Amino acid sequence: MNEAMNKVATGPVKGAGQVVLQVNGVTKQIGQKKIVDRLSFDIQQGEIVGLLGPNGAGKTTTIRMIVGLIRMSEGDVLIKGESIKRNFAKAISHVGGIIENPEFYPYMTGYDNLKQYQRMTKGITEERIAEVVKLVGLQDAMKKRVKAYSLGMRQRLGIAQALLHNPSILILDEPTNGLDPAGIREMRDYLKRIAREEGIAILVSSHLLTEMELMCSRVIVIQEGKLVTVRTLGESTVTENKTEQVQVMLRVNDAEQAKLRLVRMEEIRVMGMAPERDQITISVRDSYIPRMIDTLRNEGIAIYRIEELKESLEDEFLKWTGGNRSA
Amino acid sequence: MHKLIFNEWLKLFKKRSFFISYLVMMVVIGGAAYFMKILAGGEKFAMRDFVFLGLSPSGFGALTALLVMISTAGAVSKEFSQGTIKLLLIRAQSRSKILLSKYIVIFLYTVSLMLTSFVVSFIAGSLAFGAGTPSASWLDVGKVALSTLVYIEIFATITFMLGVLTRSTGITVGITMLLIMMKDMTVALLSKYAFTKYLIFTNVDLSIYAGGGSPLPGMTLGFSLAVIAAYMVLFLLLSFVTFKKRDVA
Repeated sequence: MNEAMNKVATGPVKGAGQVVLQVNGVTKQIGQKKIVDRLSFDIQQGEIVGLLGPNGAGKTTTIRMIVGLIRMSEGDVLIKGESIKRNFAKAISHVGGIIENPEFYPYMTGYDNLKQYQRMTKGITEERIAEVVKLVGLQDAMKKRVKAYSLGMRQRLGIAQALLHNPSILILDEPTNGLDPAGIREMRDYLKRIAREEGIAILVSSHLLTEMELMCSRVIVIQEGKLVTVRTLGESTVTENKTEQVQVMLRVNDAEQAKLRLVRMEEIRVMGMAPERDQITISVRDSYIPRMIDTLRNEGIAIYRIEELKESLEDEFLKWTGGNRSA
Repeated sequence: MHKLIFNEWLKLFKKRSFFISYLVMMVVIGGAAYFMKILAGGEKFAMRDFVFLGLSPSGFGALTALLVMISTAGAVSKEFSQGTIKLLLIRAQSRSKILLSKYIVIFLYTVSLMLTSFVVSFIAGSLAFGAGTPSASWLDVGKVALSTLVYIEIFATITFMLGVLTRSTGITVGITMLLIMMKDMTVALLSKYAFTKYLIFTNVDLSIYAGGGSPLPGMTLGFSLAVIAAYMVLFLLLSFVTFKKRDVA
């Protein structure tokens, strides 16, 4: 997991830092029930942000309110400073969206479908259509009816239509739903490339945690319509408290002997052991680790590995959302 | 706006079934001319009378109406059932404009079908009966065509509204057919009550006035037009307000 998290592209981004999307106290109330409750967050240029939450947390409702498909009961959404409520056309012109599986007119060709969206927005040239089609690699399928497209191809056409009008932010609702592993990876690579090269902000909702971990630089976790936490992913652990307990896996020449010595130390809790692999897992304070190493060395125990066992996003997610209720 | 209308026209046109409506029209009207010639034999019947029949609401105008209803029922509800509504409504266009472009295309489609029935019945009538000595004048033909256009647009507007309200093509077609079948019966049953003349169904067929009559005693063309206008405004208002406010979940 650690490795994967470090792979998140955090390189220099055009115009990073500018706020593209502001969600301000957005609420959706149906009857007495608040599906989304005073939700607020910001997204900056070039960021890929994940919207996470168990089923029924209000992810889809939130996304649809941002793009104006669902009206909000309270609050407002600003896209590049334009209100989606009061100035819909202007605000939405900065947004490219894929809402669940992108659906097209099946009896039309891929090109005809893109032309539909071209006619609805000012200033999209034929060159731009060709450009986005090339970006998603659908040049050879443009003359085929969408009926004959695979799900992966439809997803790519979905990205193409979302990028047509050079949006500042892409908003994707469960974009990897129903894709196979290769398709998911392809999608992820596109999105990262778009964010990096075009400086577009991306907001993705998903319940696939590992997917989010690989793709996003930040996650927003919601539950029962309320904000639970906002986490930056792939941050190094140097800021962590030195007195915090960490879980460490040791590989030594003799696990039994190491265990006998370690259980005698008050500061250390042995969490588990795998003698056949000469591994032993302990929980210890960060600051105590050098002393533990000295002690083991003095006992004549050879140490081959010391690895920190980090919580995966999944573990943290279950912690945030109370586990049992999650999907 | 014209680009939106073009988009909506393409959504009809690119369907393989698009030409079937025109084909049905040709086959039915052509076939009718053929059989009328054979069966009616020596009876005097002129081309212009056949054109009149082709355009009247009680003639082949009913077929045109049916074809328009079927297309109209899907105009909005298909966007929902296909899921394309989500990508349609996240463009820099207001929902009202999108709905209006759909409504305009239905009108254009109606006109195109009526032109087709005129041309087909003109050709078929000429071949089957020749010019002859028609009882209908071209003015009569024009009047009946206009009243059929009004008749179809009223039902198209009702269908359009039902499509927006129910979002289901099947239910919309079903209710519209039921309304068309029941309208004459309803009017007949309720004819003794004064309020019946304010019902939309009583006023849909303006061709009655052309023959000097009226649907119910005391009704005039001006009165019917006013009633129709009021209903149309109501139906369209309901459609647009609903479509504008609807949450697309």
